[in-house]
Amino acid sequence: MKHLKSLNKKAQRLDAAEGKPEAIEEVVAMQTVVGCTATTDPGWEIDAFGGAASLCQPMEADLYGCADSCWWPAQVPDTMSHYPDWGDGKADATKDWRKLDGIFEDKI
Amino acid sequence: MEKEKNITSMVAAGLLALAATIGAPERAAAADGPALLAANCLSCHSAQGDGISRVEGQRKSPEGWQMTITRMQEQHGAKISAEDKRRLIKYLADTRGLAPAETAGWRYLLEHDNNRVETIDERYRDLCARCHSGARFALQRRSEDEWRLLMHAHIGLNPTLEFHSLARDRQWFQLAVNEVAPALAKDFALDARAWKTWQAAPRVALGGSWRIAGFLPGKGAFEGRMRATAAGADRFELAIEGRYADGAALSGRGVATVYTGYEWRGSVDIDGIALRQVMAADARGERMQGRQHLADSRRMGGELSALREGAAPLVMAVMPAQLRRGETAELTVVGSGLSGAVSLGKGVRVLEVVSRSADRVVVRARAEGRDGLNDVAVGTARGKGLLAVYDRVARVEVEPANAIARVGGPGDAQMEKVGVAYRAVGWAAGRDGKAGTADDLRLGYLPARWSIEAADEEAEKAHDADFVGHIGADGVFVPGDAGPNPARPKSLGNTGRVNVVATVGGAGATVEGRGKLDVAVPDFVHRALD
Repeated sequence: MKHLKSLNKKAQRLDAAEGKPEAIEEVVAMQTVVGCTATTDPGWEIDAFGGAASLCQPMEADLYGCADSCWWPAQVPDTMSHYPDWGDGKADATKDWRKLDGIFEDKI
Repeated sequence: MEKEKNITSMVAAGLLALAATIGAPERAAAADGPALLAANCLSCHSAQGDGISRVEGQRKSPEGWQMTITRMQEQHGAKISAEDKRRLIKYLADTRGLAPAETAGWRYLLEHDNNRVETIDERYRDLCARCHSGARFALQRRSEDEWRLLMHAHIGLNPTLEFHSLARDRQWFQLAVNEVAPALAKDFALDARAWKTWQAAPRVALGGSWRIAGFLPGKGAFEGRMRATAAGADRFELAIEGRYADGAALSGRGVATVYTGYEWRGSVDIDGIALRQVMAADARGERMQGRQHLADSRRMGGELSALREGAAPLVMAVMPAQLRRGETAELTVVGSGLSGAVSLGKGVRVLEVVSRSADRVVVRARAEGRDGLNDVAVGTARGKGLLAVYDRVARVEVEPANAIARVGGPGDAQMEKVGVAYRAVGWAAGRDGKAGTADDLRLGYLPARWSIEAADEEAEKAHDADFVGHIGADGVFVPGDAGPNPARPKSLGNTGRVNVVATVGGAGATVEGRGKLDVAVPDFVHRALD
């Protein structure tokens, strides 16, 4: 391995974690297909196995990956059809999450 | 942030028409319905029969019509005033609504009592209830064409649904339009005898004096009197007086609208707490049953029932609703026009009448005899199976058994926490002496001590129980703050999975029950019906 240079951030972290099982586990977890992909289909609250391990964690990290592609329109305002402006001014959900408001039906 | 206006203008309740009046108020109110439809909808829809295109092929709950009109506003730019929207919802629910029998089994969604696992036909579950509740479509009736158009609307508005599991791996659209739409048209048919019968049935005005009982999270069980004074067609002003089980008084005012002749929707303010009532009246207008919830947090609520007061005395409830054999306790019998001797059924001796009025009789009683549900009588009034007599709590059920809380806040964060109100139900083993069998005897709600624990090994490893929130002595679970939490691996938020544990009894004779709780991320979309 000494002649190989890690090119991306994940590989660099894996190099740094060598020999430390817990740290390796942390990096490996990043490699797992996690979150809203078309192959694992988590729900918004729980994953396909009834747990939370395969969800986006934290969800703010990839929120617009859900909203822009209308992935859970019953839980996340979709910016594709219904609420195109929902994320305006909150580009980085990991920092701007306090500003994210809900859609509330008026009271009759 | 969800906000609910408090009731601001209330007119003092005057003399009440105590007798039910037979009439058809919603039919009178419906007179201007076609004009409303024409004025607000004909710019896009075309006239068809008594109504307009599309609308004629559908029937829904008031909230269902509300969602439809909201969609017309949001998606199609329909300009409809708030007043016209209210009147249209009323008109459409009255003339194209659901019969009581058609809402049976699905009322939890109308009541926003959503912490439950639904039982849905597999075809509909896989196609529709992946995203929203099954009750949302089960509370609609459509022609086959209209069910099919609903499929088209879904694929048009949410095109990426075709990438979902159970969509990309089969011919989703063909399945939807060719197989599921006809099945829905049969199972949830537009033309139904139940609706025709209900339309033809005489309407009973729901004004008058009602004896009410229920439960409010954080406050406890309560009983009282609700006077409903007519204030327009199917519109009532409400005045509520009562008391909680601990003796504290409660007082409130509000308004209610009745849709489709039986769907009671109240908006009340009780001692500064804004609440919503969702009840269904029976065909005779003698009894209403449903739920009351916080206006700002509709998951937080409890049952609400109402019995119409008339000339005949009523026994409505006994509080508490259980008495252990060999024990002496104070019980309050709640009713209307109560007079005469108090009987708590076979094997229960009334030792003393501590106090009494026409509304409530407090007695000291001692139970002997056998386990069972006893009738409670005061004079000629009788309530069936109101008092559970038991020897031992054999098992405890946590309600709700499956729940979702939502992280929220803190401070100025827009999305508020969504908690869960827990209660413990006690069960005796029944005659066979075995807990968990068909003859178990439901003892009703019991006081409990509350705690949470990790749901499984994975949740244990992630220390979920340390982050997700806490449960109070009153059984109310308050979730943690929203947002990424740097203290957790990968900045996972304060989400997780725990068991909620209720411990009933004391000193060497405790029984535990468990419920599953997912503390999840916020739900950003709150429809009138989820």
